[in-house]
Amino acid sequence: MTVYTETVVHLAPEAFAKEVPYQVVIVTREDGSRVTGRVIGERVVIDDPVEQMELRDGVPFFRKVK
Amino acid sequence: MRPVAIAAAGKTPFGAFQDRDLRSLAVEAGEKCLKNGHVSSSQVEAFYLGNFAGPSFVGQNHLAPYISTALGIYDVPATRIEAACASGGSAFFHAFSAVASGIYDCVLVVGVEKMTSQSTARVTEILAGAGDCSGEIKAGSTFPSLFAMIARRHMYQFGTTREHLAAVAVKNHANGALNPDAHMRKAITMEQALNGRPVAEPLGLYDCSLVSDGAAAVLLMPADRARDFTNKPVRILGIAQASDFVALDQKPDITTFPAVRRAAQKAYAMAGIGPKDIQFAELHDCFTIAEIVALEDLEFVERGCGGPYEASGATARSGEKPINASGGLKAKGHPVGATGVAQLCDIFAQIRCEAGDMQLKRNSLGLAQNLGGSGASCVVSILGNV
Repeated sequence: MTVYTETVVHLAPEAFAKEVPYQVVIVTREDGSRVTGRVIGERVVIDDPVEQMELRDGVPFFRKVK
Repeated sequence: MRPVAIAAAGKTPFGAFQDRDLRSLAVEAGEKCLKNGHVSSSQVEAFYLGNFAGPSFVGQNHLAPYISTALGIYDVPATRIEAACASGGSAFFHAFSAVASGIYDCVLVVGVEKMTSQSTARVTEILAGAGDCSGEIKAGSTFPSLFAMIARRHMYQFGTTREHLAAVAVKNHANGALNPDAHMRKAITMEQALNGRPVAEPLGLYDCSLVSDGAAAVLLMPADRARDFTNKPVRILGIAQASDFVALDQKPDITTFPAVRRAAQKAYAMAGIGPKDIQFAELHDCFTIAEIVALEDLEFVERGCGGPYEASGATARSGEKPINASGGLKAKGHPVGATGVAQLCDIFAQIRCEAGDMQLKRNSLGLAQNLGGSGASCVVSILGNV
């Protein structure tokens, strides 16, 4: 899986306000499909390989593969 | 299908108006429009309202008759259209369809939004409702973040730069300074534009449109009948609405909006013209990157060339293709449901040589592009001299 695009959010709705700044990514899976998720740990850039660490309330959290 | 014209327009200033409610704004725009058209409320045969989120922003549903009756328009169909930020353009498209098909001879369209009674965090949350709440929004995406991800990808694929984005903000703020009804009448420097506080990287404060209150209205009639009410009717030469996925992650390529391309191609075909013929345009610059992508999707420039085109000055008032002479959503303001109708009011004024300090010299053929969400809805309208 690789990063298709990403952003770091600084201004968020109340539900996410405590978490800013946080990184949102769209990831391309092996089958070519895409999903929006969040990044844990080190920030990622386009084309970085990532792995899915967990699913929280249906939202995938990804981490950069070293 | 019969030819249709805009016979009159009217709007409120855009801004943050603590003492104004949604209905009073909509009524002001509607009354100005009817007065300008010398039409009484009893002559209106149908009423269309463009509004994105009145129920969330001000807690009022059933908005179309709530407003039409306040305008003295009774008995006739009163319908609210919601298509996110393209609500106003979509209301106009449906009003056009009804007149063109011969159902009605006099239709009033009003677009309105009252946004500033909510906190910025709450506004962000309400606007996020135009995205896919089961996926991207649940993951913490906001509208700025969706367009930030588009900007990142556009930069990656085409070499678009922060300076290209900033050029859009500087140009639209310079234009807005000439617009007496603009929310922000203040020119900004390139340095300011580049150093706004970060909202969603790479977008900063000056890459984002404003949270505004305001309303706009236009009156549609068959072209021949419009001449009985004004000696300067403006023809709707081409118009189309198109749709696409709501979620950004479902689009094969997020650097282009198929709904914009399809709507534009249909509108050009209907008008019998091409993108080169358009003399000026009001584009949906909800974020600076959106204006750059719009230039490409409307085929004003090749894909990937929108950024350098903006930086070249071609889109300035003095350039070959003036874009957002009104200041755009960026400086004029973006009361969501009003935006698509206000674009038409601005083009109407340009074509009739009534745009004051904003008046352009090449003004006989203008295009409006109104975008909903991250490209799920789009309305493109082409207006010209009769």
